[in-house]
Amino acid sequence: MKVTARINKLKRKVVSTPKAICAERAFLVTESYKETEGEPMIIRRAKAFQKVLNEMSIYIGEGELIVGNHASSCNKVPVFPETGALWVEEQLDSFTKRSLNRYLITEKEKDILKKILPYWKGKTVLEIAPKLLPEETKAVFEQVYPVISPTLFLRNGVGHLVPNYKVVLENGFEGIKSEVIEKLNNLDASRPGNIKKMQFYRSILIVSDAASNFAERYSRLAEKLAAEEKDLVRKEELEEIAKVCRRVPKMPATTFHEALQSFFFLQLLIHIETDGLAESPGRFDQYMYPFLKKDLQEKKLDIEKAQELLDCTWLKMNEINKLSDVPPTTKYFGGVSMTQNIIIGGIDENGDDITNELSYMCLEADAHIRLPQPSLSIRIHSGSPENFLLKTVELIKKGGGKPAIFNDEIIVPALMNDGISLADARNYGIVGCVEPISSGNANGWTNAAMFNLAKCLELALHNGVCQLSGKKIGLSTGEAREFNNFEQVKDAFVKQVAYFIKHMVIMLNTWDQVHMELLPTPFVSAFVDGCIDKGQDLVEGGAKFNYTGPQGIGLADVADSLTAIKTLVFENKILTMEELISALENDFEGQENLRLLLRNKAPKYGNGDLLPDLMAREVGVIYCREIEKYWNPRGGKYRPGLFPVASNVPLGGVVGALPNGRKKGLPLADGISPVHGCDVNGPTAVIRSVARVNHAQATNGTLLNLKFHPSALKDERDLKKLISLIRVFASLKLMHVQFNVVSADDLRKAQQDPENNRDLMVRVAGYSAMFVDLDKKMQDDIIDRTEFML
Amino acid sequence: MNTIINSGVVFNIQYYSIHDGSGIRTLVFLKGCPLRCEWCSNPESQSLKPEVIVLVNRCIGCGNCIKICSEQAIVNTIEGNIINRNKCIACGKCTEVCNAGALQIKGKFYTVDDLLEQVMEDAIFYEYSGGGITLSGGEPFFQADFTYSLLRTCKESRLNTAVETCGFVPYETIERCLPYLDSILYDIKHLDTDIHKQFTGADNLIILENVRKLAKTDVNLIIRVPVIPGINDSNNNLIRTAEFVKELGLKELYLLPYHSLGVRKYSQLGRKYKLNINPPTVERINEIKEILIDSKLNIYIGG
Ligand code: SF4
Ligand code: SF4
Repeated sequence: MKVTARINKLKRKVVSTPKAICAERAFLVTESYKETEGEPMIIRRAKAFQKVLNEMSIYIGEGELIVGNHASSCNKVPVFPETGALWVEEQLDSFTKRSLNRYLITEKEKDILKKILPYWKGKTVLEIAPKLLPEETKAVFEQVYPVISPTLFLRNGVGHLVPNYKVVLENGFEGIKSEVIEKLNNLDASRPGNIKKMQFYRSILIVSDAASNFAERYSRLAEKLAAEEKDLVRKEELEEIAKVCRRVPKMPATTFHEALQSFFFLQLLIHIETDGLAESPGRFDQYMYPFLKKDLQEKKLDIEKAQELLDCTWLKMNEINKLSDVPPTTKYFGGVSMTQNIIIGGIDENGDDITNELSYMCLEADAHIRLPQPSLSIRIHSGSPENFLLKTVELIKKGGGKPAIFNDEIIVPALMNDGISLADARNYGIVGCVEPISSGNANGWTNAAMFNLAKCLELALHNGVCQLSGKKIGLSTGEAREFNNFEQVKDAFVKQVAYFIKHMVIMLNTWDQVHMELLPTPFVSAFVDGCIDKGQDLVEGGAKFNYTGPQGIGLADVADSLTAIKTLVFENKILTMEELISALENDFEGQENLRLLLRNKAPKYGNGDLLPDLMAREVGVIYCREIEKYWNPRGGKYRPGLFPVASNVPLGGVVGALPNGRKKGLPLADGISPVHGCDVNGPTAVIRSVARVNHAQATNGTLLNLKFHPSALKDERDLKKLISLIRVFASLKLMHVQFNVVSADDLRKAQQDPENNRDLMVRVAGYSAMFVDLDKKMQDDIIDRTEFML
Repeated sequence: MNTIINSGVVFNIQYYSIHDGSGIRTLVFLKGCPLRCEWCSNPESQSLKPEVIVLVNRCIGCGNCIKICSEQAIVNTIEGNIINRNKCIACGKCTEVCNAGALQIKGKFYTVDDLLEQVMEDAIFYEYSGGGITLSGGEPFFQADFTYSLLRTCKESRLNTAVETCGFVPYETIERCLPYLDSILYDIKHLDTDIHKQFTGADNLIILENVRKLAKTDVNLIIRVPVIPGINDSNNNLIRTAEFVKELGLKELYLLPYHSLGVRKYSQLGRKYKLNINPPTVERINEIKEILIDSKLNIYIGG
C-alpha cells in the first residue's frame, strides 16, 4: 500500500519541528498542589491530573485524523516538577545549549518555571529518598565510579507498564466508573484499610471524568473547526473527529476509528500523568483487531482508509516526548527514546498462532512512518507463519533495527517459572526495550537500575579498590596477586556482586517506598488489572503482579576476562597473576603485547567455543541467582535482566582495564552480545554461543544485537535464509534478537551530514533512535560493532 | 583406487555462507589449485602447503617472531617484517608467539572427523534452511582423496553437499565423488582456449570437456562466470558462454562480478598482484544482463 499524501505531510511536520519546552503542565500541577495541600496524596494527584486536562491548551493539527496533544504545540514537551523539579532547575540554562537532545525555551516559559520550581524544594523523590538510605548504602550510592546506576526512577516517574487498554476500549471510563461505584457502595468502611481504599476509588472517579472531559474538549474544538472549514472533505473529517471524541474514551469504542482514538487518548494521558518511560501498548494487534474486523465486514471502512488511520496513530506516538535528563557533567547519553513497545504476532492463551490482518498492517505502518515510535516488536514461535516472517525480514532489510524479535518458546516457560499462569504467560507483552511481562496486570519496574558486573570484576581483582579513583569502594576480597587458583578469582567476584546487589536492593526499595507515598498514579491504575479489585494504586502494589527488574551489564567482558585468567594464567601458565594485576593497574601502559595476548590468545565468547560460552552462562547465573533472593515493598520479587539500554558506553566509562584486553574507560559489550570485534565466526556462531546463556533465568529480559551488512540481504533468497536463521533462534530458545542493517560507511556519512540523514534510525541497545541524535562517541561505538560482511 | 585419505589442508571454515548454494552453508576452503588465475581473490589457496601471511599494520614490533624462528626466515625491514619464503618451513611457531595477530598461518591439517565436527556445529541451521557444506578452495578436487573421503562422510551424516570447482582436474576424480555430491558450482572463465591459458596458466579443453560430461549426470550443475573487466567480459565471450550453457541443457547462469577484496592478500603473502582493473560498474552488470536476455537463461548476479 502506498503512503498517502496526508501521512507524508503530517510526517514532515513531526520531523521538522524542533523540540521545545512547554511550562503549561508544570504551572497547572503546581497550582493544583497548592490548592490541595493537606488532602490525601492520591486525591491530590487525581485533582492535579484533572486540572491539567481541563485547562491545558489543545489543538487539532491540519489534516489530522487521530487527535490529542501532549503539550501546547507540536513537539513541545511538558515538564514534571513532581519528579524533575531539581534537575530541570539545574539544567534550565543548558537545555538550549546542548548539542544533542536540545530543547528550545522561550524567556516567558523560563520565567514561569523559575517561579514555580522553588515550590517543589524538598518535595521530590530525588531529594527525599537518598536521605533515607543507611550510611553504608549512601556511600555506595554516592560513588563517583559506581557499580550501580539506580537513578532512573529517582529522577523520573516509573512507567514501564503494559496496561490493559482493552478494558477501556470495551467498557469506556463510564464502565470503569460503574464498577468503582459499586465497589465503593459495597465497601465496609469500618474495616481497617478500607478508608484508604475509598480514597483510591474516589481518585479513580476523578481521573475517569477528567479523561472523558478531555476528549469532550476535542470534540467541541473539532465542531468549531468544522463550522469554519471551507474544504468540504476536511469539514466532514472534522465532524467525524467531533463524533468520535464525544464517544471515546468515555464510552466503549464501536468502530476502528474510535478504538484507535480511544487508544491514543490513553497513551497520551498516561504520559501526562507521569513522566515514566516505556509505557508500552503491548499486544495491540490483538485487542484492536475485533474493531477492524467488524468495520471491514460491515464495509464501514476500506483497508486503505484503515491503514491511513493506523499510520496516523503511529505518527502521533512520535509526538509524545519527554524532556531528557542530561546532567551537564554527563558525557554520554543515548537519545531519549520513549520506547512505547507494540508487539504483534505470537500465540494466544490456547497456544494457537494469532497473527492477523492487523499484524501485517502494523508492519506496513512502520514501513510507512519509519520513525522511532512505536518500538515495534514481533513474537515468534515454532508455528509462526512464513509470510509473517517474510514481511518481518523485509522491514528489517530497510534498516533502522525494527522490528525486534521475541521468542515465545522461551519467554512463556520463563514467565511461568516466575509464578505466572500459563494463560497469562502466553499473553505476555514487552515493556520498553526487551522486558517480557504479563499483559495488562503487572507493575514490573523493569528498568529499575543498571548493575555493572564488569566493575565488580575490577574490584575483585584489586581487593575492592577502584582503579579510577584509587579509593577502596568494594569489599576486601583478598590480594588477587596472591590467588593461586581460578576458584579464588571467581569467589572474589561472586562476593563483590553479592555485596553490591544488596545495596542496590536497599536503594531501589527505598525509592519504591517514596514513590508509594508521593506519586500515586490513579489514572493508569484504573486500567491495570488488580488495582480496582484490591482497591490499591499501582504504587502500593495494586497490580496483580509486581516486580523489580535491575539489569546486569558487562556479561561478555566478564566472561572473556575470566576465561583469559583461567586459560592463560592457571592452565597454560603463560602469565602470572602478579603480571596480570600490575598490567591492569597500569592500564596496559607500555604493555601492549601483554594486552594483545589477553585479547587474541584466549578464546572469546561468541564464537561457539564451549569454554568462554559456559563462562558467560556462569556469570549470568551468578548475577541472576543473587537478584532472585530479594523482594520489593509492593510484595513482588526481584527479576534479573541482562541488557544495557544504551548504557554499555557510559558504564564502560567507569571501569578500569580488564583481563580481556579491554583498556580503561572503553565501552562494554552490549547486553548478552559478544564483545565488539571478538565474534569472528559469523551470526550462526553468535547464536550458538548466546544460546548457552540461561535465558529462562533472566526473566527481566536479555538483549542480542546482530548487525548485518546490506549485502547479506540483497534478494528474496537472502531473506529466506535470514528467516531460517530466525527460526533456529526460536528453536535454540534465545529470548530476543534485533538486526541492524547498515553499512559502516552509511553511518560515517551520516556523522558528517546529519542534516540529510534524519531518516536514519539505529537501535541503541534495544531501542531505536535517530542516529544523528546520538553523541559522537556512541556513534563511533555503533560503527565499530562487528559487521557480518557476507 | 578409492583410497581413504584421512587428512587434508584447510585454510578457512566460514559459517553462514549464503551465496554458495542452497540454504545456509558452511564453506570449507581447501588448499591447492592447478590454475593461477590472475584475479584470484584467494591467493593463499593456490599452494597446497601451509603458508604464513603477514598483516603488517597489526605488527607492534615486539620481535617475538624473529627470536623464535629456527630458520631465520623473518627479516625486519622498513616495510615491516618480511618472510623469506625459501627459508620458511611453515612450522607456525612465529604465529603462536605473535599476540598481535600480525602473523597467521593459512593452512591447517584436519582429519575428516575433526572437520566434520566443526561443520556439524551448524547442523541445525542446515536443517532449517536446506543448507549444508560447500567445499571451496583452491580447487577441492586438487586434494582428490581427501575431498572424496570428506564428501562420503558428509553424505553418511545426511549433509547436503556442494563443491565449487574450476573443473581443471581429471574427470575420474569428480566422477567418483558424484554419488556423494548434491551440487557442483562450476566456474567457466573463458571460452577461448588461448586467452584462458594466458590468464589462468592452463587451457580450457579439459574444463569444457568435464562440464559436458557432468551435464549428462544427475548432479545439480550450476555454472558460474566471474566477470573480469577486460579479460572475459566482452559481449562476444559472454554471449558464447551463455550459448554454451544452453547447449548443456541448463537454465541458469550465475555471474560473479570481479571484486578487489583479495588484492591486499597478495602483499601479505609476499607476492605481486598483476592486474590493475576496477570492479565492473552496476551499469555494466545491468548491460550484461540485457545482452544475455536473448539466451533465455535465468541470469543471477552473485552466488
Ligand atoms: S613459520 Fe616457522 S619457519 Fe616460517 S617464519 Fe614462522 S617460525 Fe619461521
Ligand atoms: S611477533 Fe607479531 S607483532 Fe611481534 S614483531 Fe613479530 S609480527 Fe610483529
